[in-house]
Amino acid sequence: MKAGRADRIATIVFWSIGLVSMAILAFIILEIFGRGLVTAVSPSFFAGQPATNQAGGGVGPMIVSSLYLAALTMLISLPVSIGAAIYMAEYAREGKFNNFIRFCLDSLATLPSIVFGIFGLTLFVVTFKWSYCLLAGAFTLALLNLPILLRGAEESIKQVPQTYREASMSLGANRWITIKKVVLPSAMPGVITGTVLPIGRIMGEAAAVIYTTGLFIRAIPLSPFDPAAPLAGYIWYAQTEATVPDYRQIVNGGAAILLILVFLINFSARRFARFYAKRKQLEVKL
Amino acid sequence: MTQGNVKLERSPYPYTGQVVIERAATQPNVCDARVKIELRNLGLYYENFKALEDINLHIMCNSITAIIGPSGCGKSTALRSLNRMNELIEGARVEGKVIMDGENIYERDYRVVRLRKRVGMVFQRPNPFPKSIYDNIAFGPRLFGVRERNILDCIIEESLRRAALWDEVKDKLRDSALTLSGGQQQRLCIARVLSVQPEVILLDEPCAALDPIATQRIEDLLSELKNEYTIVTVTHNMQQAARISDFTAFFMIENQGEPGRIVEFGETSKIFTNPDDERTEEYITGRFG
Ligand SMILES: Nc1ncnc2c1ncn2[C@@H]1O[C@H](COP(=O)(O)OP(=O)(O)OP(=O)(O)O)[C@@H](O)[C@H]1O
Ligand SMILES: [Mg+2]
Repeated sequence: MKAGRADRIATIVFWSIGLVSMAILAFIILEIFGRGLVTAVSPSFFAGQPATNQAGGGVGPMIVSSLYLAALTMLISLPVSIGAAIYMAEYAREGKFNNFIRFCLDSLATLPSIVFGIFGLTLFVVTFKWSYCLLAGAFTLALLNLPILLRGAEESIKQVPQTYREASMSLGANRWITIKKVVLPSAMPGVITGTVLPIGRIMGEAAAVIYTTGLFIRAIPLSPFDPAAPLAGYIWYAQTEATVPDYRQIVNGGAAILLILVFLINFSARRFARFYAKRKQLEVKL
Repeated sequence: MTQGNVKLERSPYPYTGQVVIERAATQPNVCDARVKIELRNLGLYYENFKALEDINLHIMCNSITAIIGPSGCGKSTALRSLNRMNELIEGARVEGKVIMDGENIYERDYRVVRLRKRVGMVFQRPNPFPKSIYDNIAFGPRLFGVRERNILDCIIEESLRRAALWDEVKDKLRDSALTLSGGQQQRLCIARVLSVQPEVILLDEPCAALDPIATQRIEDLLSELKNEYTIVTVTHNMQQAARISDFTAFFMIENQGEPGRIVEFGETSKIFTNPDDERTEEYITGRFG
């Protein structure tokens, strides 16, 4: 009797908490879309060039910057983090050293991104004399995302059942072949979904990019050494510094586009992971 | 069915035919009463815990040797020491010798990869890869450089046939191995081992997760395979040991915390009808009753 009541109360409480968090998310989305969706979907905005002092400028090069930057960052950080994760999960002995690495990574993950921005500025932009460019931003963001990517990849690799490794080794495969042929393919869907959060973070990152890639461009960046202006940074810039009269519209439209981009990436990464798992005939829950 | 060697020699497939010839040249496959593997004073530690001590055992060619004993006495440990799978466990250390065909497999320059190809293993829980049935069996041959499609096809058919699984899966080789039933998966694992043409097959309670019918099929299979292979199997099922094995080794731990030792080793008929040691008798009858 009593247990039944407690159970009912617990159900209601948790259900309400769930409902509230859903409501908050819905509110944010509706708010942003309500203010910016109309601007966002007009071609002259999402494909247009930004203006310097009159109204009606678009954010085309900024969207390209954001996507380009995200791709470059992943290109740099994925191989590194998968490699390091393989080392930590498969080769390194569990012990003080591994724990120390994890501690460092966790500390790195909690550093404010502005710190990474300043670091990127001094190292890549100034010392390496790359000046403001996509590559400087990509390296900075790669550092920023390394901890999450690495820990995510490590978890995915660790979740591959030991029995797969045993089966492979017992057939005469050595460690590396086992990793390449059995462990990595099974871990891949997890690794792919593990990139969703970091990509979202890259797309939304303003503090680290304004010091490394630049703030304003008119031409679409082509080479990694071209300056760029990722959308999130540009939104910040438009709000605080820009000289155009319609800066509110740019900010709201930009925010809506950012949201759409993150949703799209999130969605397609999941679809891709599921497709990959299916093609490789893995049993995974996503 | 007395296929065994006869079928192999008549095999129309280039791969298996070639292997038969190679084998016949290097070592006659049928070697009655010949010792295939000898364990000499084998001991095994996990970190500081000694799991096995003083294991002396002769494993004969073309026979089934059953390892029996209470849980935790080191049966799996002993089995894994025969293909050095214990090396995957951090902190595991071996002393003594395991001599296969005259060579100590724990010698420093002994090649583990070749050893594991010669000594295949089937685990307690069926552990197919999350790949297609085809790719599961092709895994081993591919490791050893077989690339040609038609040869792989032959190996796969041959292995599946010998594991008595071909008829059930021949129309769905591209399906995931995980869609098979437990018993089918276990036979797939046996087929996977057969695909690399081993000389010895180790099985760690291969039927533990299976129903009686699937168990029966695996038992029949083992009895048939022993014509070509040397088989060592761990089992908790006394009837099974009595039914299929030629030799039986009874392992036991005397007192809590001590290493496992061999209490008695000999022909199965003797162990099960007239054991020398009364602990053997107690264990066997206890299990029967
Ligand atoms: N990976 C390991 N690390 C440390 N100790 C282990 C490990 N594997 C087994 N042991 C220990 O070694 C002893 C023998 O274990 P083993 O698995 O060989 O027993 P078993 O006879 O196969 O038992 P069961 O019949 O339950 O499978 C046990 O005391 C066990 O706790
Ligand atoms: Mg065991």
